[in-house]
Amino acid sequence: MRAKLKNLTVNPCKMCMPMGAVHAFYGIARCMTLLHGSQGCSTYIRRHMATHYNEPVDIASSALTEEGTVYGGEKNLIKGIRNLCQLYDPDVIGIATTCLSETIGEDIDRIIKNYRTQYPESRVTLIPVTTGGYMGTQYEGYYRTLYSIVKHVEMNPEKHNGINIITGMLSPSDVRALKDILALFPLEYILLPDASENLDGGYETEYRRLPEKGTTLAQIARMGGARLTIELSLFNTPEYSPGEYLKEKYGVPLVRLSPPVGLRDTDAFIKYLSENSGCSVPERLKHERSRYLDAMIDSHKFNAEGRAVIFGEPDFVYSMGRLCCENGLLPVVCATGTSSPKLKELLSLEVGKAANALVAEDFELLDETDFEQIEMLALKHRANLLIGSSDGRRIEEKQGIPLIRCAFPIHDRVGGQRVTTLGYTGSLNILDSFTNTLLHIKEGSYRKTLYQTYYRPVKEVKQQATEKHPCFSCSGARQYARIHLPVAPDCNIQCKYCVRKFDCPNESRPGVTTQVLSPQQALERFLEVKKKLGNLTVVGIAGPGDALADFEKTRETLRLIREHDPDITFCLSTNGLALPQYVDELVALGVTHVTITINAVDPEIASKIYSHVTMMGMRYSGMAGAAMLVSNQLTGLKLLASRGIVCKVNCVVLQGINDHHIETVVEKVKSLGASVTNIMQLIPVKGSAFEHMEMLSAKAINAIRKKCEAILPQMYHCKQCRADAVGLLGEDRSLEFNEAKENAKAPGEKQGLRFAIATKSGLIVDQHFGKVDEFLIYEYSEGRVSFIERRNIDQYCMGAGACDDQEDKMTRIFNALTDCEGVIALRIGVAPQRKLEERGIQAYTTYDRIEEAIKKIAREMMGEEAV
Amino acid sequence: MSKVDRIIDHYSARVYKNRKLHIIEKTDDNHEIAANTRTIPGIMTNRGCCYAGCKGVVIGPIKDVAVITHGPIGCGFYSWGTRRNKARGDENTKNFVEYCLSTDMQEPDIVFGGEKKLRQAIKEVVEIFNPDAIMICSTCPVGLIGDDIHAVAAEAEKLYGRKVIAFSCEGYKGVSQSGGHHIANNGLIRHIIGTEERAPTKYSINMLGEYNIGGDAWEIERILKRIGYDLVANIPGDASIHDIAKAHIAHLNLVQCHRSINYVADMLKDKFGTSWLKVNFIGVSATIKSLRDMARFFDDPELYARTEQVIAEELAAIQEDMEYYKSKLKGKTAALFVGGSRSHHYQKLLKDFGMETIMAGYEFAHRDDYEGREVLPFIKEDADSKNIESIKVEKDERYRLYLTEEQYERLRKEIPLDYYAGMIREMEKGTIIVDDLNHYETEEMLKVLKPDIFFSGIKDKYIAQKAGTLSRQLHSYDYSGPYAGFNGAINFGRDVTMGITTPAWGLVKAPWKTQPILKGQLQEVV
Repeated sequence: MRAKLKNLTVNPCKMCMPMGAVHAFYGIARCMTLLHGSQGCSTYIRRHMATHYNEPVDIASSALTEEGTVYGGEKNLIKGIRNLCQLYDPDVIGIATTCLSETIGEDIDRIIKNYRTQYPESRVTLIPVTTGGYMGTQYEGYYRTLYSIVKHVEMNPEKHNGINIITGMLSPSDVRALKDILALFPLEYILLPDASENLDGGYETEYRRLPEKGTTLAQIARMGGARLTIELSLFNTPEYSPGEYLKEKYGVPLVRLSPPVGLRDTDAFIKYLSENSGCSVPERLKHERSRYLDAMIDSHKFNAEGRAVIFGEPDFVYSMGRLCCENGLLPVVCATGTSSPKLKELLSLEVGKAANALVAEDFELLDETDFEQIEMLALKHRANLLIGSSDGRRIEEKQGIPLIRCAFPIHDRVGGQRVTTLGYTGSLNILDSFTNTLLHIKEGSYRKTLYQTYYRPVKEVKQQATEKHPCFSCSGARQYARIHLPVAPDCNIQCKYCVRKFDCPNESRPGVTTQVLSPQQALERFLEVKKKLGNLTVVGIAGPGDALADFEKTRETLRLIREHDPDITFCLSTNGLALPQYVDELVALGVTHVTITINAVDPEIASKIYSHVTMMGMRYSGMAGAAMLVSNQLTGLKLLASRGIVCKVNCVVLQGINDHHIETVVEKVKSLGASVTNIMQLIPVKGSAFEHMEMLSAKAINAIRKKCEAILPQMYHCKQCRADAVGLLGEDRSLEFNEAKENAKAPGEKQGLRFAIATKSGLIVDQHFGKVDEFLIYEYSEGRVSFIERRNIDQYCMGAGACDDQEDKMTRIFNALTDCEGVIALRIGVAPQRKLEERGIQAYTTYDRIEEAIKKIAREMMGEEAV
Repeated sequence: MSKVDRIIDHYSARVYKNRKLHIIEKTDDNHEIAANTRTIPGIMTNRGCCYAGCKGVVIGPIKDVAVITHGPIGCGFYSWGTRRNKARGDENTKNFVEYCLSTDMQEPDIVFGGEKKLRQAIKEVVEIFNPDAIMICSTCPVGLIGDDIHAVAAEAEKLYGRKVIAFSCEGYKGVSQSGGHHIANNGLIRHIIGTEERAPTKYSINMLGEYNIGGDAWEIERILKRIGYDLVANIPGDASIHDIAKAHIAHLNLVQCHRSINYVADMLKDKFGTSWLKVNFIGVSATIKSLRDMARFFDDPELYARTEQVIAEELAAIQEDMEYYKSKLKGKTAALFVGGSRSHHYQKLLKDFGMETIMAGYEFAHRDDYEGREVLPFIKEDADSKNIESIKVEKDERYRLYLTEEQYERLRKEIPLDYYAGMIREMEKGTIIVDDLNHYETEEMLKVLKPDIFFSGIKDKYIAQKAGTLSRQLHSYDYSGPYAGFNGAINFGRDVTMGITTPAWGLVKAPWKTQPILKGQLQEVV
């Protein structure tokens, strides 16, 4: 699905460049930031930072208006610098551009020159940085700013014995932790930037309006003469690396290290400091290390149950990913909104190893992503822990996955400025919060889980299936997903409240479905959905007509699915007219749950609800038809119940017709063996005979349910699903799955370039060529990518008996791919690649969304410019 | 030196001259203040931009509309869930308030234009969310690169068979978020109000300019429903676009936030003949006055009786708590600095608790919000206000007057019908009124006036608290609320009392600070 969604960002996992610029400037002493653009940029960023840091955050603006967009913003910018100097008397003013000033093409260097000419007496250092909001994220904005700082501050290149330490966007508390470590070594260092005090100050009786602490200009000026730079980021690009600049310009050697988070990266950092300073590792750090290690061992058994989703800036995601991995806590999804192929590359080794240790679990690494994608993958991989900023709270609320808030911004908790993850102690601190969150989940549920998993007397087996059935159990409704397969278009009765249309995806009620599937298509849909929804436990046939009106289709569908999945629970819903006829077959097919809609047990009342019924090719209306229906429903119910099938009876309340009759219905079906009733509201449908009937209020319905509860358990959580509903109750995802099919073409008629894709996820090219049992075949023509089919290579086996042979697997693959121009896989060996090429099939390796990959490659093949 | 001079003394001559017009000390006859002018560059204003006013304030709270921010990612991200307006969805109404949808424009989109991306994004929104309507709000670069979002919207409206409305609310337009309110108001009138019908009942009304921060609108709705009013639409807090579409059928519009919604109120009057009544549901006495004014408008004995009955019952329920909090808060002084109406509204609530307002200011108000609507003809149009389109509406065929001309003229003398008297008039002599208070002035003001509590927003909250003054946010209520109506008053009293009595204030001084550094003894020298 994602492949088509690249134009719309749903809930962004990134911010804009000026946000990074402000953070970097906040670590410089006596520095104010001025955003050159409309005042909203400053206001929004101040708001976001103040909420996170609980500190005043002062960002000036040149407050451009419409006039500025026409005549340029020079006047405003100079006035802004002037006023800032007058009121705040800063040593430095950081001038960051915004979308607006970049789009109108402001020449900041020239404006600064003009300022200098107009105010030659002004001593303030001005540092411009290009940070148009569309040029990157806050991550790039931050490093670009640091780069500009070292570039614009006048350097004193005189050599000295100090070292430069350049960090990413750390929390003030982490900066303090870093300084604590550095203080233990006999090193003179210059830390850039240092916002540890400016963004986390104490209570003072008088507020100081200028951030006084942080890296001073004098310190920065000495960076050019240092004997070494350590840049604590692996993902900052060399283009905007302050360390690279100092190396190029002043010959200061550069070392890149990962931030000291987790055991291994802290070890590496400390080892480096120790060697560099010629001082053995201080006792205190040794103690801290052993304490962290001890804790890692103590909590390993809990961590091993963790399945984390980590999202945020590349450095953060990498550090947290490594910390999780070394604790046996598998990061099933690592995601950043920034573009960072390197992050994926480095993490795929790290997480891949951890996943292998846990018997080849799946995981995902994403960049340039949004929270919609993250949420989907979190569900797919059954994540139980979210790690990142408070922007993940919507997933936490919706999906019930707990969120550890430990990255900027945190808006719904306090203490964002005090989150500590650095060094042994910081790592231990954050690890404890992961472990305790996992324990919180465990303590709340393990007794029940143990009971349900290990203590199951024989008679409870069916009960279990019921508990996992969202429509039969309240607790099941929140955890287990179901799929309704729309294979039964025909109906044998006409209810006066029903008009069945097949093309109305907006509505959510029984009898409505986007498209009717053949049994074979239904099987494919099931397999596809099962891949994506790990919690799928139930397959239901709910129409759009009646599941038993054309029993052939229902039977064939259930048979096919059973072949592929021996454990799935089958259920179907019916009006009951044909039930007595098929009870035996249903039992034989393994149907365990049946829902019968019985709106009346009195033929006279029933005759007001149904216009006619069709039996054996004859149409009966009025009392005759109604009597026939009621008697078959009740007989069918009794037969099913006697065979041990769990029966639910749905009953639609129709004001003035059966609303006083409901209790009688419930009593009757109870006596025949029904185990639950679902009393439902009428959904008046345009065009039906009851179109204008008034709906009962939810309160009235609940009152009836309450009354009937004395007789039989009631279902309160019914959502009146569509006939092709997919997912948890109340969260229909059928659109998503319907869409995937829309583009499918008949496999036969080839119209463009064909590609065979090696994929596990079905979304991303993420499988090694050698591991493939099945390829997805796509076609590219005129800029469009469409899915053709799945091809299982076993089906292309030519000689019996020889199929285990590697050589033959290759042959089978070649046979399967004769009509393809290319193969796209995560990786491919040299030999197979050569062999493919001999047969005129090009092999490509990439890690990308399928449709993206195909587009890029197809364009390349056809010699088009990539757009 | 006057209080005002002590606050702005340090400015350069030019800035001083400018700001002096925006800060006044109330005397008997000076009501005049400069407002709605450009922010001074480099001076840290609390104001937001046009986009913030349009998308963030007026459009954002409409729950069943998918709002796409067309622009680079920042603005969409920063306006995501930041206003804390609450909304409920149910089986019949979708709720997209928790979503942030953006076209996330990249460099090539700026160079080659973003219309294609926007078109695609609309298609995807329809596919994923299937919203009842779609709105597009543009950010700074869009206006400059010339994307025709209105054409894209019109085309999409035809294609997808639902309303698609574009708002050109680029951040640089106007001088504050106020311009954005106006643009959003225009869109509501032009495209939504009057497009759906239902029959009015006896007391059909709309609530305008209530944003449901912290659930305020729900408390107000509760009271109105108890009395028997039929609330057609609350615009825009927790609103469905279908309610807004029917707003023209009401007999009376209530205006809570005059600043942000007066354009809709005026245009409804011109187009459909509906009068508006300035109300204030912040504060117990203010709520009671508003309810009585409403009853006066409908002039129905039954309604008068029901109004009084509800007032009596509500008062009885909160009386004890009110007395308690009043005993804690009486005599405390407050400074208020909020958007364009709250600084006025909350003075009433503070008065209910015996608190005194010593300074009040607006972030983005116009002169009429300070001085009353009679000043409107005298406000000079400048280049910035001319940049915001002002639309003239024609009488609709559904135009009708609820009151006869005589009734209308008589009533106008009794209740604020189509009228707002402004904030300054009701303030005490010697109090300070500030327009567009900035960071620097906030610090100086706190030093000079020393209020017990400073009601403002997140951006200056911590300035105040670092300097030892309690501060509470009146934009987001520090995630508390509701503060409106009868129950809201109690919440407010509780929150302020809790703030003032927080033990930390008593522990500010460390014990070693009170101990002598040197000890000595006096000895008689012989």
